[in-house]
Amino acid sequence: MQSKITKILKAIADPTRREIFHALVVAATAMPITQISGQFAISRQGITKHLKTLEDAGLIQIQTKGRERFCLADPLPLQEVNHWLKFYERFWDDTLQNLSSYLDNKA
Amino acid sequence: MKDVITKTQVLSHSIDKVWDAISKAEELSTWFIKADFKAEVGYRYTFTSDGKEGCEPILGVVQKAEPYTLIYTWEVQNTNVETTVKWELEDLGGKTRLYLEHSGISKYAGDTAIKMYTDFNGGWDNCISLLDEYLLNEIHAE
Repeated sequence: MQSKITKILKAIADPTRREIFHALVVAATAMPITQISGQFAISRQGITKHLKTLEDAGLIQIQTKGRERFCLADPLPLQEVNHWLKFYERFWDDTLQNLSSYLDNKA
Repeated sequence: MKDVITKTQVLSHSIDKVWDAISKAEELSTWFIKADFKAEVGYRYTFTSDGKEGCEPILGVVQKAEPYTLIYTWEVQNTNVETTVKWELEDLGGKTRLYLEHSGISKYAGDTAIKMYTDFNGGWDNCISLLDEYLLNEIHAE
């Protein structure tokens, strides 16, 4: 099973999906799929596939109202990515702390 | 995406002592990570944590090694992403200012990011030498 972070990273690894997600974040409101696909030069089917990937990652919510489906962005899961990017920050902090203790204790 | 990590630290030790600690294999292996390393331009070094799970070796080539600047490429094995690590020391008269720069971080994207994340989650944090443990053993040995 794919972990949550893997799904998020996969979702944002694709430039088109990043653009779709960005458009939804900027809109700050639920957008009908018809309107989203109107903004991109790819098929509605292609858009739907991208939206599904974003939904799986928890980055958007898709709701059906009447005949139209609406998408709403949820940037909260991106915090996990940010957390991951901090890996090397923590790594080097720990490393320098090790170096400091090593020198302090060296005869 | 942020591309460079920088760290600055002042150490209460002479510049030569700090230089030895960051450039000699034996010392690196004590406080950092098991190192096959030579501070010579062109040397292909390997940092390994043998016997520890989920610790991919780090490979790279020394680009610059003259007191007190050390630059080497940094590639976590099987990621095909080359980043660069630079150490710079400045003499503060008995004390030393250490400047560390790790650049190229943004190259970790897509599938590589996923792999890195998985590896790191699998215990990469434990790959750095457990110095506390080491020092404790030293004390017991005396």
